[in-house]
Amino acid sequence: MRASGKIRFIRHSGLALVLAGVALLVFALASLTWGDVRLGPGQLVDGLLGRDEFAATILWQIRLPRLLTGMLVGAALSGSGLVMQVYFNNSLASPGLLGVSAGSAAGAVVAIGSGLATFTLLTVPIFAIAGALAATFGVILLARRGASTERLLLAGVAINALLGAVTSYVLSAPTVSYERNAQLVFWLIGGLEDRTWEHIWMAAPIVPAVLLLLPMGRSMDLLSLGATEAQSLGVDVPRLRRNLLGLSTILTALATAVAGTVGFVGLIVPHILRLLVGSEHRRLVPLSLIGGAAFVVGCDLLGRCAGGARLGVVTSLVGAPFFLWLLRRAER
Amino acid sequence: MSRAALSLREVTVPGRLHPVSMELPPGLVVGLVGPNGSGKSTLLAVSAGLLPGVGREQNDVRWNGQAVATIPALDRGRRASWTPAEARFEFGFTVRSVVAQGRYAHGDDGAGVEEALARLDLVALAERPVNRLSGGERQRVLLARALATAAPLQLWDEPLAPLDPRHGLEVLSLARSLSRAGGTVVFSLHDLRLAQELDFVVLLEGGRLRAAGAPAEVLTPKRVRAVFGVESCLRPSLCLSLP
Repeated sequence: MRASGKIRFIRHSGLALVLAGVALLVFALASLTWGDVRLGPGQLVDGLLGRDEFAATILWQIRLPRLLTGMLVGAALSGSGLVMQVYFNNSLASPGLLGVSAGSAAGAVVAIGSGLATFTLLTVPIFAIAGALAATFGVILLARRGASTERLLLAGVAINALLGAVTSYVLSAPTVSYERNAQLVFWLIGGLEDRTWEHIWMAAPIVPAVLLLLPMGRSMDLLSLGATEAQSLGVDVPRLRRNLLGLSTILTALATAVAGTVGFVGLIVPHILRLLVGSEHRRLVPLSLIGGAAFVVGCDLLGRCAGGARLGVVTSLVGAPFFLWLLRRAER
Repeated sequence: MSRAALSLREVTVPGRLHPVSMELPPGLVVGLVGPNGSGKSTLLAVSAGLLPGVGREQNDVRWNGQAVATIPALDRGRRASWTPAEARFEFGFTVRSVVAQGRYAHGDDGAGVEEALARLDLVALAERPVNRLSGGERQRVLLARALATAAPLQLWDEPLAPLDPRHGLEVLSLARSLSRAGGTVVFSLHDLRLAQELDFVVLLEGGRLRAAGAPAEVLTPKRVRAVFGVESCLRPSLCLSLP
C-alpha cells in the first residue's frame, strides 16, 4: 500500500496548519450564520455577546452546541483513525471500518434501551466506551497487528455485523417504547441535530485525550514503520501501544456517544493530510485534529444545505467512493 | 563481572534456540553463519533484547556486563541497534526522516544523520518516500538508521543479502571502521568466503552453537561439510575490494 506519493503539495507544515485552521474558521462562521434564520455579521456579534436576545437564543441554544459538538466529534474521529492506522500498521484502518464505531453505538443503545441512561449523564459515554473496547479487542483477536488489509477489513466486517445485530436487537425489542425508539434511530445514522450543552459536557473528555495524543507524534512515527524496529530504537512499544489503543478507543466512543455512528472521518481526513504533508506524525497529529473538525463541520453544512441530510449520511456519501478509490490504489 | 560487549548465558528460546552461551569482546566484526533455520535471526533478536523472556533466569543477555532486562527501553536505543533482514514500510516517510528516527533515544533529530546518509550512499535518495525504494535501497536505509543511533553494539540481520557488490563492500568497510572505533558489529550472512575474512565467526546449527572463534578455526572443511553439506577448500579465486 502506498500511502504517500512522491508529490507532496505542501512542504511547509506551518502553512498546512494555517490552511486547516482557516478552513475550520470559515466553516464555523458559516455554520453559525446559515440556517432557517440567516444571521448577519452584526447579529452574530450581538448574539454572541447577548445584546440581541433573539440571535442569542439561536446561537447559544442551537448553533453553538451543534458547532462545538461537530468540532469535538470531527477531531476525535480523525485522531482516532490516525492512531488506529499506526497501531495496525495499515493505512486503511479506521474506527468505522473496524467496527469500533458500531461497538460504541451498540454500547450507547444498550444504555438507553435498558433505561440506565436516565440515571446519570455518564452512563451513555461509559457504555459507549465499553462497547468500543469490546469491538477493539474483537478486531485484535481476529486480525493481529500488521495483518493484511484483507484480514483487517474482514475482521471489521464481522465485528460490524455482530455489533450491528446487538443494536438492531435492542431497537426491535418490544419492550422499547416508541419515544426511546426514535432516540435509538438517532444513533444509527449519526447527526448533530438537537445537540445541547449537555452533549458537549459528555464529549468534553475528548479535549484532554487529544492533548495527550499531541506529544506522541515521534514515537508514532517509529511504531508505524515496525514494532520490533521501534523497540530496538528505544521506544517502550508495549506501553505506547496500550496508550494509543486506549486513547483511540475512548475518542471514538465519546464521539459516537454524542453524535451516533459517523463513518469515514477517521479514514478520509488522515489520508488526505498524509498525501498533502507526508507521513510525519508530529505534523499529522495536530493537522488531523483540526482537519477532522473542519471536515465534520463542513459535511454538516453540506447536509444542511442539501435540505437537512444527516451528518452520517453526508460523510458516508463522501467517504465511500473515496474508500473504493483507496482500495483500487492499494491494489496497484 | 564480565566486560564483554555482548554476553549470553544459557539463552533459550523455546523451539528455536537451545541453550546458547557466548561472549563477544568489544572491537570485533562478528559473522553469524549457519544453514537456513539454524537460529541466526533469533540469536540476533534475543541479543538485541527484542524477544520476550529476555532477562529471566534462563535468558541472561548482557551488554557490557549489564543485564539487558535492567536497562530502560530508551537507554537500550542508545546502546544497541538492530536491523531486520527485510523491511516493510507501510507509510511514505522520506529516507531522511527514517534515518533521523535513529536519533529517537538521543532526543534530537539531526546529529549524524547527514553523515549516515552519505556513508550508505543515500544522499541522492534522501527526499524519496521509503515505500518506493528497492530492497537493497531499503536495506541501506535501515543500516543508515542503525548508524545514526551511534550505538556501540550493532546487530544486523543479513544486511548484505539484498546489496549489490559495491554497496556490500561499503557496508563491510563500515562495519570494520565501527569496530576499529571500539564498537562491536554482529551480523548474519550466508557467504562463507566472506565470513572467512571477519574477526570472529559464530556457527549455529539447529538452534545450537556449533563453534565460535577465529574463522580459520571455526570454518574447517570437516565442519563445513558436516553443517552445510558442502565441500570447501582454500584456493585463489576472484577477489573483490573497494578501489
